[in-house]
Amino acid sequence: MTNDIALMSAAEQGQLIRTRALSPVELMRACLDRIERHDPILRAYITVCADSALEQARQAEREIAAGQYRGPLHGIPFGVKDQLCTRGIRTTLGSRIMADYVPDRDATAIVRLKAAGAILIGKENLHEFGKGGTHVFPYGQPRNPWNIEHNPAGSSSGSGIAVACGFSSGSLGEDTGGSIRSPAAANGVVGMRPTFGRVSRHGGVMYGWTADTIGPITRSVEDNALFLQTIAGHDAEDPLSSTRPVPDYVSEMRGGVRGLRLAVVREMTWPDGVSPEVRSAMERAIVVLRELGAIISEISLKLAKHAVPLLMLTSDSDIASMMLKRWLRTRWNDFDTGTRSRLAAGCLIPAAVYHRAMRARVLVRREILDALAGCDALLSPTNLNPPGRIDAARETVGSAGDMQNKVLLRRISTYPFSMANVPAIAVPAGQSARGLPISLQIAAKPFDESCALRVAYAYEQATPWHQRHPDLTAIEADAKRLTRSNP
Amino acid sequence: MNLTREQVAALAAAVELDIPEPDLDGVTIRVSALLSAMKAIEDELGADMDAVDPVPPIFPREDF
Repeated sequence: MTNDIALMSAAEQGQLIRTRALSPVELMRACLDRIERHDPILRAYITVCADSALEQARQAEREIAAGQYRGPLHGIPFGVKDQLCTRGIRTTLGSRIMADYVPDRDATAIVRLKAAGAILIGKENLHEFGKGGTHVFPYGQPRNPWNIEHNPAGSSSGSGIAVACGFSSGSLGEDTGGSIRSPAAANGVVGMRPTFGRVSRHGGVMYGWTADTIGPITRSVEDNALFLQTIAGHDAEDPLSSTRPVPDYVSEMRGGVRGLRLAVVREMTWPDGVSPEVRSAMERAIVVLRELGAIISEISLKLAKHAVPLLMLTSDSDIASMMLKRWLRTRWNDFDTGTRSRLAAGCLIPAAVYHRAMRARVLVRREILDALAGCDALLSPTNLNPPGRIDAARETVGSAGDMQNKVLLRRISTYPFSMANVPAIAVPAGQSARGLPISLQIAAKPFDESCALRVAYAYEQATPWHQRHPDLTAIEADAKRLTRSNP
Repeated sequence: MNLTREQVAALAAAVELDIPEPDLDGVTIRVSALLSAMKAIEDELGADMDAVDPVPPIFPREDF
């Protein structure tokens, strides 16, 4: 366990708060101090709610002192991707277009975290409208805390950075194609995309209605289970949310992997373009899980390669259809160039093609569900490469080759599970030679988040990666060096 | 499938979207790539696609 209270897991912080060995005010101040010192460089936050967060921390302290302890998240600071509505707090979606939008309600997931006593610390930076591929971030360029010249991935970029740096104890992200898992992977933390319908989507500004999910990003698997436990469950405001009961994730997480059948997905693990370092990390992860008693096999998902274009042909079109009338026709120049190109393409997919793509999605999903019927979980790397440099990671599309390499291929490891609407978790699984995080992805059957958490927890406890944190003392010197070389 | 800039501009006009000149190449490449990918998927899976209905994202309770 670290001695730095801001970097402890939320579970550890919660235990100290429960026993009154740690004050929620002290914890909140530690997070706010870190934000104040380091976020001008890292740009995890668009809005920091310092005054209200401190007031609520004082309130939590009073409640706990009075014996009104609400549970393990009482007094715990959390951030949310600025794609989720917050009552009275602007919700920008990372876009100039939404700069003045102040919702009159909280998203359901936020309502539930607040009811559990968790405290909103701020709204986190993201790719514009939660779409990947933003070139210029209107609220500041988010940077990877492990190396500020590198990309923190997205679209929930700030949510990954904030958790890695102790700016919050957990965050809520949104994942359509990989937007929770990918930044969790790039920043060395844990990110869960739940089954579609497990967590209410109400209050999220997200128009990809067939794939959008809200889920937690945390520093440990146990924290992920705690946050998921709090936000999961039916919500009358989201007609697609499931009525099935929510299991006790924290208890079920501890079941171990002995005898579990885990299958490595060949096309998502060893494709052209996977870096040697990620390949090595995967090989080591497989050894660890086998030594823990899991039964490992390899499986082929021949249709997985179609997931990226199919999700873009359909979800991008769903989202673009909502943007066209409202903003795309009239405020073209207010969009980032990457966002508007992607949305415009989504607008131009003929309906006949869209509907054929929806049928093809059924086949890709069926292949994944058939694979999961024969095993307990599927494994792959979360990202095929350690996070690249910020300039190289920009999706500038000037040729068909760019489209293939920069847009389609790099998403092959996350999109298939999005398309199948199954739960998938990213867990730290190594570091590159340059100290950048590498991540293992575990996907499970629909509504079997417990299994994904169980494998992730067993792996996490057997490896050291979750105990490593970025060296924030180094980033100020790095930032000065960057400024000198790019005045 | 390689659409021309003119074809993409015409498609955009059909939905009352005026794509400025500097962005037209990028949009053309994106739409062409996605339609090409769909053509390849049709070639591989078209017959199977004829045999299924699009399903909603939620899972039937009896199955899971």
